[in-house]
Amino acid sequence: MSDQNIQHLPAEELYQKELNALITAERDPVPAGWRMSPRSVRTYICGGRAGDTLITPKYIGDQRLVEIAIATLVTDRALLLIGEPGTAKSWLSEHLCAAINGDSTQVIQGTAGTTEEQIKYSWNYAMLIAQGPSPAAMLKSPVYRAMETGTIARFEEISRCAGEVQDALISLLSEKRVSVPELGIEVPARKGFSIIATANTRDKGVNEMSAALKRRFNIVVLPAPATLEEEMDIVKSRVEQLAGSLDLNAQLPADEVVEKVCTVFRELRSGQTLDASQKLKTPTGVLSTAEAISLLAGSMALAGSFGNGTVADEDLAAGLQGAVVKDEDKDGLAWKEYLENIMRKRGKQWAGLYAACRELNR
Amino acid sequence: MKEPIYFGIRHLSPAGAYHLRRLLNEVKPKLVLVEGPSDLTGQMEHIAAPETVPPIAILAYTQAAPVRSILYPFAEYSPEYQAILWARENGAECRFMDLPSDVFLALGKARQEADETDAGDRSDAWAALDAHSGEDGHETFWERTMEHTAAPDAYRRGAGEFGKRLRALTGGQGPDWSETVVREAYMRRTIEEAMQEGFAPEKMVVVTGAFHVEGLKTAVPMTDAEFKDLPRESASSTLMPYSYYRLSTRSGYGAGNKAPAYYSLIWEGLNAGDPTLHARSYLSRVARYLREEGNPASSAQVIEAARLAGELAHLRGSSVPALRDLRDAAVTCLGGGSFAAVSRGVADTEIGAAVGAIPEGVSRTSIQADFYRQMKELKLEKYRGLTAQELPLDLRENRTVKSQKAAFLDLERSFFLHRLRVLEVSFGQKQAVSQDSATWAERWVCRWTPEAEIELVESALKGDTVAQAASFRMKERVEGASGMSDIAAVIEDAFTCGMAGAVGYATAALQAMTVDAASLEDLAATAMRLSEVLKYGNIRRLDPAPLEPIIRQIYLRCCLILPGACSCDDAGAKEVRAAVERLNAVALAHDFLENRLWIDALEQVARRDDLNPRLSGLAAAILLERGALGEQRLDLEVRRRLSRGVPADLGAGWFEGLAQRNRYALIARLGLWRSLSDYLDGLDENEFKRALVFLRRAFADFSAGEKDAVAENLGEIWGLNGQAVSEAVNAALSGAESEALAADLGSFDFDDF
Repeated sequence: MSDQNIQHLPAEELYQKELNALITAERDPVPAGWRMSPRSVRTYICGGRAGDTLITPKYIGDQRLVEIAIATLVTDRALLLIGEPGTAKSWLSEHLCAAINGDSTQVIQGTAGTTEEQIKYSWNYAMLIAQGPSPAAMLKSPVYRAMETGTIARFEEISRCAGEVQDALISLLSEKRVSVPELGIEVPARKGFSIIATANTRDKGVNEMSAALKRRFNIVVLPAPATLEEEMDIVKSRVEQLAGSLDLNAQLPADEVVEKVCTVFRELRSGQTLDASQKLKTPTGVLSTAEAISLLAGSMALAGSFGNGTVADEDLAAGLQGAVVKDEDKDGLAWKEYLENIMRKRGKQWAGLYAACRELNR
Repeated sequence: MKEPIYFGIRHLSPAGAYHLRRLLNEVKPKLVLVEGPSDLTGQMEHIAAPETVPPIAILAYTQAAPVRSILYPFAEYSPEYQAILWARENGAECRFMDLPSDVFLALGKARQEADETDAGDRSDAWAALDAHSGEDGHETFWERTMEHTAAPDAYRRGAGEFGKRLRALTGGQGPDWSETVVREAYMRRTIEEAMQEGFAPEKMVVVTGAFHVEGLKTAVPMTDAEFKDLPRESASSTLMPYSYYRLSTRSGYGAGNKAPAYYSLIWEGLNAGDPTLHARSYLSRVARYLREEGNPASSAQVIEAARLAGELAHLRGSSVPALRDLRDAAVTCLGGGSFAAVSRGVADTEIGAAVGAIPEGVSRTSIQADFYRQMKELKLEKYRGLTAQELPLDLRENRTVKSQKAAFLDLERSFFLHRLRVLEVSFGQKQAVSQDSATWAERWVCRWTPEAEIELVESALKGDTVAQAASFRMKERVEGASGMSDIAAVIEDAFTCGMAGAVGYATAALQAMTVDAASLEDLAATAMRLSEVLKYGNIRRLDPAPLEPIIRQIYLRCCLILPGACSCDDAGAKEVRAAVERLNAVALAHDFLENRLWIDALEQVARRDDLNPRLSGLAAAILLERGALGEQRLDLEVRRRLSRGVPADLGAGWFEGLAQRNRYALIARLGLWRSLSDYLDGLDENEFKRALVFLRRAFADFSAGEKDAVAENLGEIWGLNGQAVSEAVNAALSGAESEALAADLGSFDFDDF
């Protein structure tokens, strides 16, 4: 069994049982290079049953988007997941790979410093100099390996790479082969090869993707959760998982607490109250669902380490303040206005949180 | 008893139409019975006529108000339409078999009343179906399971089963169940009558909604006595051209179809024996539309989209993509994940712009007959074309012709076009004309489109002639009016349409509304509108006298509430100002209005200190203009308003109001400027800065010439050369000055403004 002391276990290990159950219960035809049928992949991501095993939903939201993503991969097209930060792009990409290949670890983590070699292949220079070019001296990139094995490579944060590096993917994706002139060989991609890339629409420091590259991807835009209930579901289930793996010595936050956090986030994100009756100033931060999750986990850590083990308003207040106020001047104002105009008037249920937040703003 | 052959369908179902035709070819029936009002069987001849192009619709409507109507739209792929067509092509008898339209309309009235209390319907069953299928609605479920079946007999059995189950789940429920029972009893009666006539059951095909198949088999036929007892309402009916757009905007089973152009692609595919033709057509059309709009959309993308749509269908266990799959594929592959990028192409491909046609002269409604008669009488027939033509009208009497009719031909034409405009029949578009001929000339651009014909037929519900329908429409508008200006607009329309009756009716309604509280702005806008009508009404040969009392009433009311309305903040003052200007124009325009009242009201506003100073200033300006404010009084007033101790914003605000009108009258009065100068001299620096803000605004829209004149005045007062002062005043700020100003403004407290 895998080492439980790892911070973030790959999805295929975390959900091994479910994956095995799905593979055992498989009835539909399985595409070449896949471990299960597209429908089973959908069940794995969106939840359901496989034989007697309950499959937990991994992506809570529009099931149709998941279907489009899966169908894209069946047609051996590359998939590009676009969305605001914290809309579960990487999460979805990881789980898709885990279900389709049983391996979500062929990843290129895109940065401004990513080079073309890291996308194709590079060399062990000591060996290269000693022996000249040889297959043994070659360092294969995750994309290279995926092509060889007919699996899916993940490319995180593709828009952070420089344009010319992104362009290296263009011919890879259209010709589905990588040539190695040093060795005089050409490696064709096996059936099942594809790439799932993720890109951010809102962060600073990203590069525009070229139209040529965009054309080679099927683009799926992941939205922020559509309803409060949906967002609460996501937050609750993820906080539960995190609390388990991080050993936070605190009780899971009550529904009421989750609701408060999600309400504040949704209202500030959309610039109006949930009932759309009042307009609000929006802070500069994204206030994503992912942030709500880490906020609650942080509050649990506070409560577990320094409090009585249940998430109190004081624990929340510190987290909320930190999540909302990213730019001291502007966000501070927006947050104070929100506190005074909205939260203060929400009545008893919110009184404790309001008092705690105000205390921090004195 | 032997049963005829039933074919259960869904209305507007291409697969239904396709398989029905196949069955008809196989059975070769002698009689085809189609669900539809039995008294309208006569329309079939026109429906099947070679000149008829679907989409078309049968419209039946009650003759008495309130008009209720039922509509039977047919697209090319409607099974009913194809059944009628087949019967004509093969010499078989074809009849409608449902309740006559007069009974239908009478029953509809009862249902409408019941609907309001009971919203049960079959929605529970549909919701359960949606949850089970996991699709975005039963439209998609139906398309996926039924519309792409090519296998013989699969459609008929599937639809039969569907209807049977739905009936088992929902039978006996909902507000329309009793109606269903009555309808089925009647249809059964028609079927049995036909058999008694001698049609062999195995040579009879009954085309009906899938839901009714089981009911028809088991229903007890309606007796003569029962048939006699049915409620009836006298009704008319007509065949009308229809459009895909209209089909797509009507929701609900049977009446509409969200994507008519898309369904016609399925129909083409079925007839071509190619089950995925619609998918390729759909995606290529979207791509072509995008390209025509100047967006890149390559064939490679279309191919990718087709593959993606195919895979999406597979995920749902189907081999043929449904509309939902195709749309999602278009968004993903052609729109880069954003629906907005392809939305117009998608709308064009799914809805389309097809418009039907019916043969000339077929079943004209009385309003159509009236329309064509007037077109001829008014010599407008040559404007009834698809290309837009300009039609200039001179509303004055043409004295060179002999007959009365010819003399006022253009006026009559104008009435006619305005009536159509009121009915929202898009035949003539009124264009703006130049100011000097605005009272007697009109310019129209006329264009006759099939849409206009449809709109005209729909107006049949409002009356038998164009004039009647327009009058009915105005009455509706008066009844639904939310404010005075709505009714004033009706009165205006009534005048332009030359309809004295409607003027009277609307005036009465307006009078009733004036009694209730209304704001000054509303009243003034209404008074202005009516005043216009009154001024130019004569040209339309209508006696505007009935409007006089109502204007007088509104005017009186305005005079009474004016001082109260002037107590407002600066934001509100803008609207009040507009109202005051309008009222002044109205007061000047009509002799029958007592001017004294208006002057008194203005006097009050000008005198009082507790009202908005700008409005007080405006009132003073108007009084000055009308000679009701003497030199001496003005001078006194200026001194009083612009004295030290009066806060700068009040004093300067008043001056701003005063300067809004008739500047030459101000410029000519030297005393006024002396007072202003004295006032400014008396202010300390801080007060001066505040006053400056307002004064600057007051002078902002003075022209250079006006500023010159002011400068000359000031020069005289200060004993300086007027020209030098003018130059100094009109010169742009130097760099150093504006810097100093900016620094000064930085520390200035703008909070109060």
